[in-house]
Amino acid sequence: MSLAVEPTDGVDTLDRRPGDDELVAARLVARRKPGQWISALVALVAVAALVHSVLTNPHFQWDVVRYFFLRPSILEGLLLTIWLTVAVVVSGYILGIGLAVMRLSRNPVLATVSFGFVWFFRSVPPLVQLLLWSNLASLYPTLSLDVPFVHHFATIHTAHLFTALLAAYVGLTLDVAAFSAEIIRGGLLSVENGQSEAAKSLGLGKARIFWRIVLPQAMPAIVPASGNMVIGMLKATSIISVLAAHDLLHSVQLIYEQNYLIIPLLLVATIWYIILTTVLSIGQYFVERHYARGKGGPAPRGLWEVARGSLPFAGTVRRDLAGLV
Amino acid sequence: MTPALVRIRGLHKHFGRHQVLEGIDLDVPAGSVTVLLGPSGSGKSTLLRCVNHLEKPDAGFVEVGGEIIGYRRDGERLRELPDRAVTRQRAKIGMVFQQFNLFPHKTVLENIVEGQLAAGVRRKAAESRASELLAKVGLAGREASYPRQLSGGQQQRVAIARAVANDPQLILFDEPTSALDPEMVGEVLGVMKDLAAAGLTMIVVTHEIGFAREAADQVVFLDGGRIVEAGPPGEVLANPRNERARAFLSAVL
Ligand SMILES: Nc1ncnc2c1ncn2[C@@H]1O[C@H](COP(=O)(O)OP(=O)(O)O)[C@@H](O)[C@H]1O
Ligand SMILES: [Mg+2]
Repeated sequence: MSLAVEPTDGVDTLDRRPGDDELVAARLVARRKPGQWISALVALVAVAALVHSVLTNPHFQWDVVRYFFLRPSILEGLLLTIWLTVAVVVSGYILGIGLAVMRLSRNPVLATVSFGFVWFFRSVPPLVQLLLWSNLASLYPTLSLDVPFVHHFATIHTAHLFTALLAAYVGLTLDVAAFSAEIIRGGLLSVENGQSEAAKSLGLGKARIFWRIVLPQAMPAIVPASGNMVIGMLKATSIISVLAAHDLLHSVQLIYEQNYLIIPLLLVATIWYIILTTVLSIGQYFVERHYARGKGGPAPRGLWEVARGSLPFAGTVRRDLAGLV
Repeated sequence: MTPALVRIRGLHKHFGRHQVLEGIDLDVPAGSVTVLLGPSGSGKSTLLRCVNHLEKPDAGFVEVGGEIIGYRRDGERLRELPDRAVTRQRAKIGMVFQQFNLFPHKTVLENIVEGQLAAGVRRKAAESRASELLAKVGLAGREASYPRQLSGGQQQRVAIARAVANDPQLILFDEPTSALDPEMVGEVLGVMKDLAAAGLTMIVVTHEIGFAREAADQVVFLDGGRIVEAGPPGEVLANPRNERARAFLSAVL
């Protein structure tokens, strides 16, 4: 037997350099990711257990939830929550735009006033503000408008002025104004200076430049943060139940204080808040898509595609599945 | 000789302690092309930006079509005009920027319509004028595109169409081809030559000596905030007397 080592068949196939043609023709197999599947399985089991217990635990009393879900007093509360949110957000953002523009203006007094406003109202918790405003009567029992020569032209008693609702409206509006001013300022700063210079050189006036050139380009930076903020405010309106204003939370509180069905009634409120938040999120999606016009990147996807893309086994996950088998 | 459309006299401008323009005197006859040359930092952009009041001069004045830009005469003083009046003056002076500065959120058509709307033109008329101009700069049919969907050269041609949409009496170009890939320079210079041939008054900052030689009526050489050489392109470009101008030209040629 010769000492020369004869390559065995197996070694031969391993060591032989494959030709380029073979490599070109080879099928590409993605890396397997068993960890991803194990963690997904664990999470699914946990979610299933949670859902099962929520649906079958008699303490949740889903029949009670169903019974109260569309009661008129609940819907009244819901309505108040909705319009208070709308009113607060609209007036807060109008103020916020003004504050942001003041802060960016070349006038140091305006800039400082805006800075001070934002600093103060960002510092005070909304609930504290709410209590302060509703107790304004003890600070300034009357607000009077004095006109020279006509003493006490008009006097308003603050106790009548600041109902719970008005206190909430004012307090939350100032809160939104302070936070939105910062969001808007950040957005405005993200727009290049060349944009307003080009607009100026075309003979556009200041207001036109702001509303038609700068603000629309600031929107992509403003909208996501504002979506958060509006949803936060929707929920923050529930603090007015402290002042016994009849919002969504207070309307369920009134009922469970009588029948002690606390959990199902809180579920009623929770589900309504989830529905409203969902509607707002969908709205945000469309607003974002609107302001993404002219941006590079892939064509905007439809809402359904986005939703499906984030569902397990329907969108991106399917590609991973291919790697496993 | 045609009367000067643009008269610049004793123009001074500083930023902080840095004197950028140190007494500029310049006449630009109506219907002529003036090319500004000069090393980086010599004050070319600042001079151009004083012409449409994007920068306020410290002393001296710019007059376009007999109107002092940004100020009105009040005895021995020049008082700054209100925004509204400056806006009206700017509407008659077009400007084209190195970075195009098209409005990215508006379509090509809307970009060209915007200035016309501000000037009070009806939308219908503004849109048909915009389409006409697009055809003139070789971009017929691109009305609905967004700026980012166009090449640099195409964007700059849209910017030129936008700048001339209001029939300005003067148009300022600040290095219009410096941000372009070399193969796109020609198409933009071509459009500019068309405008020059059509009799538009232009002040152009550029390093394209070929354009200066072909299209300019006068070439002005700026250095350290002063005009060190000015004259017809044949003279200034062929044998500049100023040493700095000579050095600059041999570097860019
Ligand atoms: N807004 C500004 N603030 C401070 N310095 C500036 C400003 N604009 C221009 N400068 C300075 O002025 C000088 C001339 O600038 P510029 O007119 O842009 O020159 P050029 O266009 O000839 O290159 C440069 O040194 C530049 O740094
Ligand atoms: Mg420059």
